[in-house]
Parts: sequence; C-alpha cells; structure tokens
Amino acid sequence: MADRLDYGEGTDAQQFVFLLPEYLKDTSKKMKTGLMFVKLVNPCSGEGALYLFSMCLQQLFEIKLFKEKHHSWFINQSVQSGGLLYFATPIDPLFLLLHYLIKADKEGKFQPLDQVVVDDMFPNCILLLKLPELEKLLQHVTEEKGNPEIDKKKYYKYSREKTLKWLGKKVNQTMAALKTSNINVGARVQSNAFFSSHQISSDKEEDYICYAHGLISDYIPKELNDDLSKYLKLPEPSASLPKPPSKKVKLSHEPIEAKEDYTKFNTKDLKTEKKNSKMTTAQKALAKVDKTGMKSIDSFFGTKIF
Amino acid sequence: MESGDEEGVEKRRVHLRPDTLRSATPATLHLLPCDVPVNRPAPVGSFFTPAIRQGPEGLEVSFRGRSLRGEEVEVPPGLAGYVMVMEEKEEVLVRKQGFPQGSDNDEQQQELLEPPEAALERDFDRVIRASGSFSHFTVWGLETAPGPDAKVRAALTWPSLAAAIHAQVPGD
Repeated sequence: MADRLDYGEGTDAQQFVFLLPEYLKDTSKKMKTGLMFVKLVNPCSGEGALYLFSMCLQQLFEIKLFKEKHHSWFINQSVQSGGLLYFATPIDPLFLLLHYLIKADKEGKFQPLDQVVVDDMFPNCILLLKLPELEKLLQHVTEEKGNPEIDKKKYYKYSREKTLKWLGKKVNQTMAALKTSNINVGARVQSNAFFSSHQISSDKEEDYICYAHGLISDYIPKELNDDLSKYLKLPEPSASLPKPPSKKVKLSHEPIEAKEDYTKFNTKDLKTEKKNSKMTTAQKALAKVDKTGMKSIDSFFGTKIF
Repeated sequence: MESGDEEGVEKRRVHLRPDTLRSATPATLHLLPCDVPVNRPAPVGSFFTPAIRQGPEGLEVSFRGRSLRGEEVEVPPGLAGYVMVMEEKEEVLVRKQGFPQGSDNDEQQQELLEPPEAALERDFDRVIRASGSFSHFTVWGLETAPGPDAKVRAALTWPSLAAAIHAQVPGD
C-alpha cells in the first residue's frame, strides 16, 4: 500500500490539492456518495462557477482557487505543475437564489420558487431547492404570498429594499470579522503605519467598510452593487472607472449633474445638500476615501477553475 | 427528451467519494517557487527530501542548483488538506458493479440515499477521490523564505473571512 502510494498513484494524471472543511470527513461516515462538484451560476458574473454540494448536510460550498505564477507541487513522489490550491468554503445560498429572484422579477409577479430557479445553462440549480430552511432565508430578500386554504405553496417576489437591508447587515458582519482578524485592509493602513499614528484609526474604519463591501460585491450583480454603494453611502470605486474627481462624490440618488451645475438644477441641488448635511462625520469622511483598500476576493485567488 | 435532460445534468457532476476522505493516507507536500511544467512521478525522496537542512533561518534545500529557503505552513484550523485524483472511466465501471473495494456498509449507504438521487447517481459521469491527506505543507521561496507576506498565506486567511461573509444574518 505504501509502495503504491509512494510511486503508484504516479500516473500522469492531474492531482488536485484541496482544503475542505474538516467536518466533511465526519459526515462521510454516514454516506458513501452524495458529495459532488457541480457547476452553478456565479451570482456576480452570471457565468459558470464550481461548487461543492453535500447531499447529506444539504450544504453548498464555493470553490476558490489560489493560483500564483511560477509555482508547482511536490506531492509525495510526484511533481504537479501549476502549484494550484483549491479551497471549499460554505457559501450563503441566498446569493445564488438572489440571482434567480432578480431575473424573475422582470416579470413582476409573485411566483413559486420552482418556477424562479430554472436554468438551461446550469440545470444543477435544482439542487438549490433542496437546501434546508429556504423559506426562512428568502424572508431576507423577498415579499411572499401564500394561501394556506388552497395549497401549502408559497409565492415569492424579489424585494430590493429588503435585499439592501440584508446586504447592509452582511457588510457589517464582514467588517466585524475583518477587525478581529489581522487582515490588512488597504495600502493606506500600511503606509500610515510609517507616518502619523493618530490617523490610523479613522482611516481604518473607512478602509474596513470599503473592503467589506468589496468582498460582498463579488457575490451580487453589478446593478445591485451600485445600489448597495448608494445604500452604504460609499464613493464610486475609483479603481474600476477613472472618472473626474467631482463624480467620485456620488452620495445620493440625485443625478450627478445636480451636483455639478448649480444653476440649472437648483432645487435638486438643495435636496442633495440637505442629504449631505444629514451625514455623520464618519460618512462624510467616507465620501472622501479613495477605494484603494477595496479588494475583491480575486486578489487572493486566480479565477480559472478546473 | 426527458431522460436526455437528466443525463445532461449528470454529466455536469463530479462525484467525490466521501469514504476516501477517511481512507486517504498522509501525504507530504512542498510548494516550490518555480513551475515544473509536467505532472508525473518524480524521485522526490531520492533527491529533494534528503537534501533538506535546518539552517539558521529555517529550512534550506536546493533544486536545480538554486538555493531555496522554506517554512512549514499549517492548514488553518477547521480545515483538512486533501490531494484528489480523477478516476478513470473504466475504473468507475468496475467499481459500480458491486463496489469491490467498498467496506461493509454498502447496504447502509443504499438505504440512506433518497430514491431520486440514487437514481441520478447510478450513471454519474466522473468520480474524484482523495488519494492523500495533509495538515501542513512546506512553502519554499527562492533564496529567501516566503515570509509572512507570501500570497499563499493571505489565501489561507480566506476561510475565516468566508465564514463571516456567509454566516446567516440575524432577522428583524
């Protein structure tokens, strides 16, 4: 056996180096199948992404790939090119469900979930319907209707307001985690460490929210992300679109022009100013932040999987 | 058409054998700071491993005449490392006929499965299994140790962050 392992597995086949949650090993005692890699939609890009689904735990894990240039593995008595490292971590399935709810919302009506979660490209999306406590999850992002007298079926409709509120909470809990971990949230923090020390705390707070928002934005479509930026009163990301500085301060739902041209949009401008005055000191400070600290998960990982 | 669709779904699933997560034997992994562009057996134990020395600044070895400095990296708590390999189709076929290398609880497994899934899984397309397990590996840098700023270390902080991102938010 040892011999076989040392030299045997030595075909030219590809070996995958994975980090999995430890508890998957324990649940494997109960089942010999029911753990599978499936391709499902990436809720941010709409393209395909790899996930791990546990039938036994009824849990979904996303697969992230760490990939850095010029690396390779020695695995026992073999060499494996690329030096790739795969991570399987639990994902909140609501992000994926949201993708379908937003798509179905174009029809503008209440629908049962099995009519919402349909996908010709990724037929495995039916696995999402097997997840436990779906009704409870959906409360965060939908309005629901049901008539218990007729059937037990519930009908759902995407709610933008509820979703933003839910995402706001997500950003907050991610910020909390960033603060307790030792993650550097931005180049700013590092450079500040060399200069004035009293600035660190205030800058950090801004960097944390931008960083947390950046992490969440990898799980939601672009349009919703723009709404979330407004909801969190974040400045426009400077990295993605180089815009004139004036446009960076996009704080309200008012058109940009209102801010730029005082003569033409007098009334609107007043409204904008009023909203600005309502902001807390922290929010005002936020508006000035450039988003160099906003890092997406891709800064850790490559994108190509399998 | 109906059955054709089902087959289509099947083809997009790669089944991981959960029992192999327990039977996988410990593996030794080194992450090198260079890409060897092949996947094949290599006499690591004859050339690489015996040359590893404990130097004043960590582990030392050389590969192709270049000096490497290394350090042990632990798999983050709550995670387990696995090396996985795809099984060949023929291998899958043999195993499907009575699970020859399965242990005593084949029947138990059949019972635990919900009938529709059992039907789906009878004809799955690919199977992957864990061939090795690890709880730490050695990261090597060229001339100097990878250090705390190594990208792979940043990646290893991801699971704890992901846990926070994907934790359920409290209701109203």
